[in-house]
Amino acid sequence: MTKSKTQRIIAILLAVAAVALIALGAIHMPQRSAQGGRDILDALRIRTLLNATGEGVVESYVAIAKQEASNKAREEGLGMSALREAVAKAEEEARAQHTGTSVDYDTVNTDELVSALESYTAALSAYYRTADAAQQAYIEEHMPEAEAAAEAEREAKLAAGQEVSEDEEVTVDMSGFVATDEMNALMAEADEAFLAVGEALKGIYPVLDDAALETLHDTIQGIVYQSGDDFTAQYDRYMEAGSGAAISNTTTAFFIRYADDLIYCGVALALAALALLFSRSLVEKLGIPRIIISLFFILLCLLALLYDLSLPTLLSNSVVRMGMNAIMVLAMVPGIQCGISLNLGLPIGLVAGLIGGLMTIEYGIPGWGGFLFAIAVGAAIAAVAGWLYALLLNRLKGEEMSVTTYVGFSIVSVMCIAWLVLPFTSLKLRWPLGTGLRNTIGLDSSNFKHILDDLLSFSIGDFTVPTGLILFMLLCCFLVWLFSRSRTGVAMQAVGNNPRFAEATGINVDRMRIVGTVLSTVLGAVGILVYSQSYGFMQLYTAPRQMGFIAASAILIGGASTSRCKISHVIIGTFLFQGVLTLGMPVANMLVPGTTLSETLRILISNGIILYALTKSGGGSRA
Amino acid sequence: MRKPGDVRTWMRNNAVTVMFVLLCIICIIYSGQSMSYVMYEMFGRLSRNAFIVLALIIPIVAGMGINFAITIGAMAAQIAALWVIEWGVGGFGGFLLAMLMTMPIAGLFGFLIGKLLNKMKGQEMIGGLILGYFANGLYQLLFLFIFGNLIPLNTPGLVIKGSTGVANTIDLTYGSGGGIKYALDGLWKLSFGPALYICCGVIAALLLVLILTKRMNAKKGGIAIGILAAACLLYQIPAVASLFSMVTVPMVTFLVVGLLCLFNVGIMKTRIGQQFRAVGQNRTVANASGIHVDHVRVIAIMISTVLAGWGQLIFVQNMGTFQTYGAHEQVGLYAGAAILVGGASIRRATNGQALLGCILFHLLFIVTPPAAKNLFGDAAIGEYFRVFISYGVIALALVMHAWSSIQKKRPENAMAEAGKAS
Repeated sequence: MTKSKTQRIIAILLAVAAVALIALGAIHMPQRSAQGGRDILDALRIRTLLNATGEGVVESYVAIAKQEASNKAREEGLGMSALREAVAKAEEEARAQHTGTSVDYDTVNTDELVSALESYTAALSAYYRTADAAQQAYIEEHMPEAEAAAEAEREAKLAAGQEVSEDEEVTVDMSGFVATDEMNALMAEADEAFLAVGEALKGIYPVLDDAALETLHDTIQGIVYQSGDDFTAQYDRYMEAGSGAAISNTTTAFFIRYADDLIYCGVALALAALALLFSRSLVEKLGIPRIIISLFFILLCLLALLYDLSLPTLLSNSVVRMGMNAIMVLAMVPGIQCGISLNLGLPIGLVAGLIGGLMTIEYGIPGWGGFLFAIAVGAAIAAVAGWLYALLLNRLKGEEMSVTTYVGFSIVSVMCIAWLVLPFTSLKLRWPLGTGLRNTIGLDSSNFKHILDDLLSFSIGDFTVPTGLILFMLLCCFLVWLFSRSRTGVAMQAVGNNPRFAEATGINVDRMRIVGTVLSTVLGAVGILVYSQSYGFMQLYTAPRQMGFIAASAILIGGASTSRCKISHVIIGTFLFQGVLTLGMPVANMLVPGTTLSETLRILISNGIILYALTKSGGGSRA
Repeated sequence: MRKPGDVRTWMRNNAVTVMFVLLCIICIIYSGQSMSYVMYEMFGRLSRNAFIVLALIIPIVAGMGINFAITIGAMAAQIAALWVIEWGVGGFGGFLLAMLMTMPIAGLFGFLIGKLLNKMKGQEMIGGLILGYFANGLYQLLFLFIFGNLIPLNTPGLVIKGSTGVANTIDLTYGSGGGIKYALDGLWKLSFGPALYICCGVIAALLLVLILTKRMNAKKGGIAIGILAAACLLYQIPAVASLFSMVTVPMVTFLVVGLLCLFNVGIMKTRIGQQFRAVGQNRTVANASGIHVDHVRVIAIMISTVLAGWGQLIFVQNMGTFQTYGAHEQVGLYAGAAILVGGASIRRATNGQALLGCILFHLLFIVTPPAAKNLFGDAAIGEYFRVFISYGVIALALVMHAWSSIQKKRPENAMAEAGKAS
């Protein structure tokens, strides 16, 4: 009673804090583009500009003093060393005299400068907008060329027997880019506006001459506008330059700068309050691990926003990773339904799929034909292997989990030997020197790299939708669902739920378990091919060993148990698990740069959830 | 006395061991290594691995199968080793300190493992395996983000500048008296001949005492003494002696291994040992007879985890360095495979099986890469082959166990057995 009361009080306090933060953020957020924000930026900009110019002015004084000293010395007919000494002395004196005394910021009249700067900023931003658009157009136009060149380079490297690096981004060579007429015209306008700025600055610093102004040109331009500037970027830049003293109301400025972060924190607190308030019913409905992982996912999203990472890009990557892994996770479904529990022997299916993929590359079958051929070959091998595997499992009813794990491990190590001795000949597959197949085999556009990802894909802002991948995932899910509704499917689930009852109603238990295991193994083969086409590489040797665990943990996160599962568990679980991993990496890198924190995270989540499922699988009831 | 059926049963029960012996012989023949080198390697491997294999016996007797969670004991040992190096305590004292430190850490871990495994009865092995993986994640957190960052380490070489966490390799030669490298092995080393004589002499003396105090059947003891004498005589043949010409025996290490064997035998004669056995045979019956089953299981795992930690210390002091993030990973796999190779099952295991398994398993480890190089022209095949053998042996043992326990469960079989008994 008291516990729930304190819980409720804490939740309400959190909610109040959340509302306050969100309100604070919401009030200040629009200020960024309104007068208040503009005033702050203007003040900062002028101060930064004056600071920078002031430094330039000191240099001008020093230059003048040096010139005078050298002239004087020459007139007096001094020797080289004495001349150098006199110049150095003059420089020192001038620097000491002028540093720090350049201008009194409070009294100086900056009206002229403000108006000049306004027009200069507008001209510059117009120029950069045009320039960015022109460059983007250039990149788009020349992208195919660059891709072809990169492809050719890869081919050459492969032929020469060098290792091809895994993730290289194709970049367009910008050296051929010429400024357009429009750009030139806008630049001229901007230069004209700069002259006005120069005049205004000369009004403040009388000593400033044209030559000094010319050297300051780039600095001033950098201060006033940089490509893709927004409020926060400018604010941070000016603050870094040490112009913070120019702001009269620092709290407001701070709130405006961090308005978005305030809102995120508010949302986080609100969610925490909600979770606390409904904790009991949530725990009942979802189970503790799913709640922890969901909350963790949300936390990562908010952290990504706080660190100004592009959340749409990260979520888009998460969706791709979900599509990549979903079929392998789906492979768990028939296994659980037919009563063999988590199919940790999934690597059997995976290596079958890999063989299919290797044969496609060996025979050089391009595009869709190649992908379908790989699936067909992989599925056929997986069906045979799965059948044998099912015969084994039928003799071990009730003890499947530990046996399947080690059978899977054994198969992976047998295949390690097989990859060394299988008679593939393509140089894309083999090490040119030494024996056996490569560790990772790079796919390219002549095979089936990204064949599903790029099908009908489109972008909304930073969020790329891999339509083909998602459609394929949904299709597979639908087929498995359809199957579970068929006569055989229903019989199979009956076997999984209660083998004795199923046997009594005349269902052939062993046959149904074979059907489920074969289906699971075949889906594993399809799954690894979908994974590879999206990843762009086929990983051989020990890589498939842990994939069974990853797939099993994903479906468990989705809410399945070792004896019960639904298709929705597959999709939810894969998205949550892969989402946490995808978001975890950049966020972890922000927190502790250059570490493998994300890999550690994967180990903890994946094995933790399996352990949890094992403790729930009813072992405790058998005293 | 023996019927032909007995031979067949014996063959079936020891199929793995027999197969392994044959495999070892084939690989030795094709490896082209000299026998004296193979023996030298094998004694080295035996001295550093036997202890940890023996640590598996108690959980097996207690019915918990192979304790793959011994990797966690190894992690505890590595934590202790790290701090002993950090404090610069070297030599035998450093080794003893590390052992002492391992005890509470591994004991605590063992307690937690036992509690968790009690929640997944009947699935301890898969649970232990995955628990090992999970603990590895925690271990990485500890060594990457806590040691060397939150808790600073000052010893040079433990932390590498510009990267977070403890360095990838930990060198045990740092510290007074050359660190804890060879802290145990180096105490007393003998070449094979004297070592053999001393061992045989001590064992024979012990047997004599046992026989004279009538605690042992005189016939049995006489045979054993005869075997020892025969071994010493056999060593007199120059061809046999030359086999062991390269071997040096770290006496103290083997003494420790021997003590553990005695401990494993001795504890079974105590009250808790009887309880292990009772729980291992049938939890329900044990529970009915008033044994606190969960408690007994936790104790079994705690003992096993502490022993595994000590075993890992013996391993690393022999190696001189260890991979911070990898040295513990395969401990459970190799030890589990080794004990099964010796003829143990996941319900029955003895010291002899553990030692025999350790010898055979490591013999195969030594000779497969060169044998594969000679047969197929690629040593990598041999390396993958021995990994396959490790996994395969465990898979086979699990399959055979599951098979036999299911056949026992079937009503018609139970009836048949009951009929036989009457």
